[in-house]
Amino acid sequence: MGAHVVLGYNPQLLPGFTVIGIVLGGVYALAAVGLVLIYRVSGVLNFAHGAVAMFATFTAYEVSTVKGAPGWVGALVAIVTGAALGFAIEWLTIRPLHGRPALVKVVVTIGWLLVLQTAAGLIWGSTSYHQAVRLVSKNGFHLVGTDVTVGYDQLTTVVVALVFALAVAALLRYTTLGNAMRAVADNPDTARLWGISVNRVTAASWMVGSAMAAVAGVLITPLIAFDTFSLTVVVIYAFTAALIGRLSSLPMTVVGGFLLGLAQTYPRVFSSLSGTADLVTFALVLLTLGVLFRPGGRKVRVV
Amino acid sequence: MSTKARRITLLVVAVVAVGWPAMLSDFSRSLATDGLIFGLIVLSLVLLTGFVGQISFCQYSFAAVGAFTVGSLVAAHHWSFWLAMPLGVFGAALVGALVGIPALRLSGLFLTILTVAVALFFDRFVLAPGTWNSFSGGLSSWVVGRPSFLGIHLDTSYRFYLFVLGVFSLCSLGVWNFRRGKTGRVLRAIRDAEIAASTLGINLTAWKLAAFAASAGLAGLAGALLAVSIGSVSTGGYDLIHSLGVAAVATVMGVGSVASAAAGGLFLVWGPEILRHIGVSSQWFNLITGGLLIVQLIVTPDGMVTDFQRKLKHLLGHRAARQAPASAAEVDVRERVPVRTGARS
Repeated sequence: MGAHVVLGYNPQLLPGFTVIGIVLGGVYALAAVGLVLIYRVSGVLNFAHGAVAMFATFTAYEVSTVKGAPGWVGALVAIVTGAALGFAIEWLTIRPLHGRPALVKVVVTIGWLLVLQTAAGLIWGSTSYHQAVRLVSKNGFHLVGTDVTVGYDQLTTVVVALVFALAVAALLRYTTLGNAMRAVADNPDTARLWGISVNRVTAASWMVGSAMAAVAGVLITPLIAFDTFSLTVVVIYAFTAALIGRLSSLPMTVVGGFLLGLAQTYPRVFSSLSGTADLVTFALVLLTLGVLFRPGGRKVRVV
Repeated sequence: MSTKARRITLLVVAVVAVGWPAMLSDFSRSLATDGLIFGLIVLSLVLLTGFVGQISFCQYSFAAVGAFTVGSLVAAHHWSFWLAMPLGVFGAALVGALVGIPALRLSGLFLTILTVAVALFFDRFVLAPGTWNSFSGGLSSWVVGRPSFLGIHLDTSYRFYLFVLGVFSLCSLGVWNFRRGKTGRVLRAIRDAEIAASTLGINLTAWKLAAFAASAGLAGLAGALLAVSIGSVSTGGYDLIHSLGVAAVATVMGVGSVASAAAGGLFLVWGPEILRHIGVSSQWFNLITGGLLIVQLIVTPDGMVTDFQRKLKHLLGHRAARQAPASAAEVDVRERVPVRTGARS
């Protein structure tokens, strides 16, 4: 038994794969922006990000697919669940660890990952595949000049992802809360001297970031296998996109998301191996860690 | 603990470890055996995290290198276990050293991302059916028989248990000795003050890579033993969730002490079994582990076993007991990219 690699190169697949890659990339970008927001404000690499997205998405599944409510109601439930989980993680387990090394907080989020992953498996079944929550119909339109069909759901995914990413950028730039978040990200002690409630701002960043994870989870389920594990590991894709933005620059993170989405999709033109996406992800993680995180490397502007 | 008290404790532990399983059923004995093998994986984290301050979420990927090397060579190419096992351990150590290379520049936070990426890479690419079937076995699993050791066939559960107990004891002794000797001092120096250590002429690169290789080699050995213990090697048991689970258990028990390796291993095996016994799905195990991890990090930062040992030492009146090394996470790892300083422009 050898590897079943399809060596034939089929250029006709390329436009269709570009669409898929961009859609996936939009979702990764959205999840990654939430991750970077949490990291910048609280200094925690949130490994439970994907698990939060997964759990929230399953509540949407419960409301919309099982109980039969409209898709947007499910999405709202997911957003509320995501924000609540983000708040719970910050308030119950990150805040008491104030002053402890960053690595401790990272390990705590691993604990949450295990808890949420197992809980979802117990409630909804860990191995079976579930029917995705659909926000819009699967119908689509032909892209002018090509024979590529773009689904309305795919278009919605990219638009929603971009709108949310832009909304966060606007939040950070034009609102008082956003200013406070940036202040805390830069220096929590100085922020506290200026009268900013660091705890409240940190909790807010966890809520906003986790809500974005929830939206990303709902959007990605029609694209990937909808089970507890597949959504939980989306955190690694989000991290990869975030690493391309050096965990600080939001525009570069969005670019990183699209780059990863396309990089995961294009190799499928050449190879039918199921794990190619993860090979590419791994290579990108190595590359970004090796190149962008050089000691004394160039600093990238924040937001 | 005084030397005498320590000797008595060790003797009691040895007698119980050898004698008690003789009275158990075959099934319980094989559980105890697997517990010791999982204990080796926890031990590999004790070596890496407790002594060097690096954390890894991909120990099961290293174990997989050992297990699948043994599986493929013994099952498909009819190698002897005694030839395949060292090769598997060496392969795992090599992979560990490769993972350690980025760690040279990336201590701490960002290494965690890398190790999760490594686990996922093994889980979903290297071991996925179709990628490298002559290694992973594709959709089927490798069937491996028990080897003989010095002319004694390790086919009964008690013989195999004793063999694994011997291996575990040797490895624990090795790690414990490391900690006491020059090696341990060097590794602790690197953990506690990297720059100061390098000014003393310690070759950081070599030591860190060696620590990674040794840790991965231990995990690889555990994988090789697991292959012959279970009798088959299949991809299901070496995924990311297992790696995260063992890291969680190691942290809960305390990565500072060798004793927590045995405790962690037995917990990993008996935990699901006890749950099944009281009529709860063993699926709950990971939830409990995760919950324990969260509570433990907030309440007893050093880990439960380490904490217990310290209390025991106090109880025995040995106040000058050396402070046990801090837990995984408590080890202050200096970031190359500052997390919260105002240095960004």
